Amino acid sequence: MSTPEQLAIVQSKFTTGEIVVIAMEAMLVQDWLKTTRLIALVNKGSTNALVILLTSRTPPQVYSDLTIEKILPIDQDFQCDIGTDEEQKDVTDVYLNVTCRKSRTIFEMRPGITTTNLVSAIFQAIEVYQKNKNPTTDFLWIQKLTGSVRNLDSTNDRLLSAADPVIELESSDLVVSRRNIATGKSPIGTRESVVRYQMACKEDDYTYTKTLRIFIGTWNVNGQPPNAITLEQWLSSDEVPPDLYAIGFQELDLSKEAFLFNDTPREDEWRQVVAKSLHHKAEYEQVALVRLVGMMLIIFSQSSHLPHIKNICIDTVGTGIMGKMGNKGGVAVSCCIHNTSVCFVNAHLAAHCEEYERRNQDYADICARLNFQTYVPPKGFKDHDQIYWLGDLNYRITEMDAQTAKQLIADGNLAPVLALDQLEQQRRLSRVFVGFREAEIKFKPTYKYDPGTDNWDSSEKGRAPAWCDRVLWKGEPIASLTYQSHPELKISDHKPVSATFDSKVRVIDVTKYRKIHEELMKKLDKLENEFLPQVTVDTTEIIYETLRFDEPCAKELIVANTGQVPVKFEFIKKLDDTSYCKEWLSITPYTDFIEPGQKCDIKLEVCVDKRSAWKLNSGEDKLYDILVLHLVNGKDIFITVTGTYERSCFGCSIEALVHIPVPIREVPIGRIMELENNKNTSQDPYYVPKEIWLLVDRLYRHGIKTPGLFETQGLHSEILAIRDWLDNGSQDPMPGSVHSVAEALLLLLDSTAEPLVPYNLHRIGLSAATNYLQCKQVIMQLPEIRRTVFLYICAFLQELLTHTQDNGLDAKTLASLFGSFFLRDSPRSRDDRNQRSKSTQAICDRKKAAFVYHFLINDQSDFVGR
Amino acid sequence: MARDYDHLFKLLIIGDSGVGKSSLLLRFADNTFNGNYITTIGVDFKIRTVDVDGERVKLQIWDTAGQERFRTITSTYYRGTHGVIVVYDVTSGDSFANVKRWLHEIEHNCDVVVNRILVGNKNDSPNQKVVLTEDAQRFANQMGIKLFETSAKDNTNVEEMFTAITREVLRTKKESKERQAIKTNETVNLRKSTKQHRKKCC
Repeated sequence: MSTPEQLAIVQSKFTTGEIVVIAMEAMLVQDWLKTTRLIALVNKGSTNALVILLTSRTPPQVYSDLTIEKILPIDQDFQCDIGTDEEQKDVTDVYLNVTCRKSRTIFEMRPGITTTNLVSAIFQAIEVYQKNKNPTTDFLWIQKLTGSVRNLDSTNDRLLSAADPVIELESSDLVVSRRNIATGKSPIGTRESVVRYQMACKEDDYTYTKTLRIFIGTWNVNGQPPNAITLEQWLSSDEVPPDLYAIGFQELDLSKEAFLFNDTPREDEWRQVVAKSLHHKAEYEQVALVRLVGMMLIIFSQSSHLPHIKNICIDTVGTGIMGKMGNKGGVAVSCCIHNTSVCFVNAHLAAHCEEYERRNQDYADICARLNFQTYVPPKGFKDHDQIYWLGDLNYRITEMDAQTAKQLIADGNLAPVLALDQLEQQRRLSRVFVGFREAEIKFKPTYKYDPGTDNWDSSEKGRAPAWCDRVLWKGEPIASLTYQSHPELKISDHKPVSATFDSKVRVIDVTKYRKIHEELMKKLDKLENEFLPQVTVDTTEIIYETLRFDEPCAKELIVANTGQVPVKFEFIKKLDDTSYCKEWLSITPYTDFIEPGQKCDIKLEVCVDKRSAWKLNSGEDKLYDILVLHLVNGKDIFITVTGTYERSCFGCSIEALVHIPVPIREVPIGRIMELENNKNTSQDPYYVPKEIWLLVDRLYRHGIKTPGLFETQGLHSEILAIRDWLDNGSQDPMPGSVHSVAEALLLLLDSTAEPLVPYNLHRIGLSAATNYLQCKQVIMQLPEIRRTVFLYICAFLQELLTHTQDNGLDAKTLASLFGSFFLRDSPRSRDDRNQRSKSTQAICDRKKAAFVYHFLINDQSDFVGR
Repeated sequence: MARDYDHLFKLLIIGDSGVGKSSLLLRFADNTFNGNYITTIGVDFKIRTVDVDGERVKLQIWDTAGQERFRTITSTYYRGTHGVIVVYDVTSGDSFANVKRWLHEIEHNCDVVVNRILVGNKNDSPNQKVVLTEDAQRFANQMGIKLFETSAKDNTNVEEMFTAITREVLRTKKESKERQAIKTNETVNLRKSTKQHRKKCC
């Protein structure tokens, strides 16, 4: 993040004179949540400020990736210090604690040159301020920047983030910051970690401690089998039976087979001997056994504790040849005893007197590489409450000659010898076992003896005595009781060592735990419920007064986001419907996002047009719909839409219209439905519907010589007036221009359920198009009323064509116009139109025109006569 | 991703309009009660995590509109439901009479295995009570379902009722799992026996 280009992008957020000294990525730590930020030190004149930026990309590519979140002036209120996590020495992240105007912000940064530079730049800036003590007026530029930040962000939500993210750090009662949930950063999926974290914080409220006696033993057996020996002197010399045993062996088997194949009969032999030699006053069961070549660790527990030992997991680390093989290294068992996590490590570190640095390295490798996979996420060595480390650690005494040492030891004067113990020395230098403790050594060195005796090594090498075999521990609260060697066991060149402890483990009070857990759950549930999408609508019933044919009427539905999260709403289909609303209704927008505190105005427009009118006339449909307003991941709201449809001749079938001698508004709705369903027809119907006759008659009388008739668009308002005139009946002359009348006629033909040539004859009609005789036959097949209407209109059109010199019409134009109405495509094929290629459609249209054309140019008098 | 629950169940609350379905849900999920009647026009849900016999059960409880005109739409929300809470109002004989219809809705719209519970709500003013406990109990027995008389207002029996239906759903889940296990065992056994059979033939 310190490349010149990237710095330039950050610089672009500032104006002249405001210089970005340095910028880098850092993690903003909010409790356990970490989110990426960019922090930059910006200088203007003699003042400096620390700027926190949000970035939508890391590293940022362009100006717009960055948003200034917060600006902290480096003045008298600014404090900054550096810390690394003290508990965990292995973690090397740098923590930058910035305090400014009583709010504290913590950043986690990768160690490195950039971090060092940033930190030193900040400290320099603090020094500069302390020298100059700039008046507050010098910091006005920051206010301007802050002001612009707020103006930049128009929405409420962003304002919040720009306003004060830091305050949330301290005030959040529940650890997940609400905004994070709201913006989807910590979805409900992270509840598990919230629960774990919260429960961990409250551990003291639902646990009590219980003391367990822990026995730790370690013995390098030098490859010897446990022939005819028992281990009581080592394992059960105490009066009180331990609750838990952790017994480690090294050099269990020195054979090549053991090394190469990691398989040895010794494992079971020693296990059995151990099992036999455990304290007789208690019942024990094996908890775990782990072995790598010659290193073996067995855990036994009193049977009564067994149900409380959970998450048992083992791991091994080889640090021998190539840093991998198992001749050296460590084996470990991790488990939870009640609510305390405990780790036992049995290690055999590098040999040879001078190799203490190798031993330190082996220790570090084991620490780093131990990994217990049964946990999610896997647990490392350091993630335990208590750690017991035992084994042949191999640290020697090199700064004292063997003879002097042996003499001092023989005199019982261990102190001067111990002072030169490598492990003591290395620990004092914090090179190894940092944070571990060891009990005071009051026993003779455990190495090296002539096997079978208590005599120091008498071989040629004549090795100096050393406390190779050790037990250390880390964690609270552990009280050391005994630490001793057991020289009675002589088969090896090492003596076994034991250490006992009173360890306090945390035990869960189930009742208290349940109660606290339940409270926490309730809190989280409440939060989760609060963060469900929530809206209110201004009404759930939308009632349209009177709706007339082809006269749109719009109403508004206001949806307000009254919840805490952005809402996506959508009108959804219900049951088996094909669409989310009826075809006479249109909803805009039918889906959208609403930010919290915002609203959305939805327009619901009802328009009964040529497609839906006939369904309402016939009673197949009603002006009634229930809409389902669905909030994504939330509730559904039902919106009822109702209206009263004023029936009209538009949308009525020809068959029904010929039976209605009065204006349609004078006919009860039930009667229209009857007629539409072909019931109770009258005795003497009209030959053609009076509405068609009235329209044609009007055109014949007033429009026959009008240029552009049927080619000029009518006025919608006039068409509506004509509609009312037809539906209500009137003594006045028909309103509107002839063009409007012409369009009304076409609309009337277009709004029937079926076209004049019904859908079942559609295909035949088209295939007959080129042949006049065949076309005639199609017309002959029409029901009488339809045939009459067809020929009636054609006759009128022929009449029109006799006035071509005035109206400028020609047969082809009229034929293609009326063809599209007489042979209207079925609604289904209308839907298919998108798939149908343009050329096919053009051919189809030409056929329709050809069909009608015959009837416009041929004399129809004989036909009519029939 | 680790979950903070062992089971996730969907419960559905149905019953006539105004019997207190939303109030029961509000009492259970938020421990609140609002005396003002706001009719539910739609379908809403809330979640609550409960501990039932040591198992963490997350409940997603759906509250439906009770009005007749919405019945066909609400029927689509029955799918995937584990337990249905049929509510009537102890002060309304009609709402109790309609329970049969609601049970019929369940039969019609739910998957095969669904647990049901009958709830007489508004059991807080003895003077107004018209549906006698004995009558309701007799009916519940006939139908083979449990009866709870609750009051969302006074917070009586609400927790118990939800716990009861959750426990039933949990039991049903376990039983069906066991049955499945037995089934698999049977298949294995069958296969084994056929193998042996073949050997004999050879």
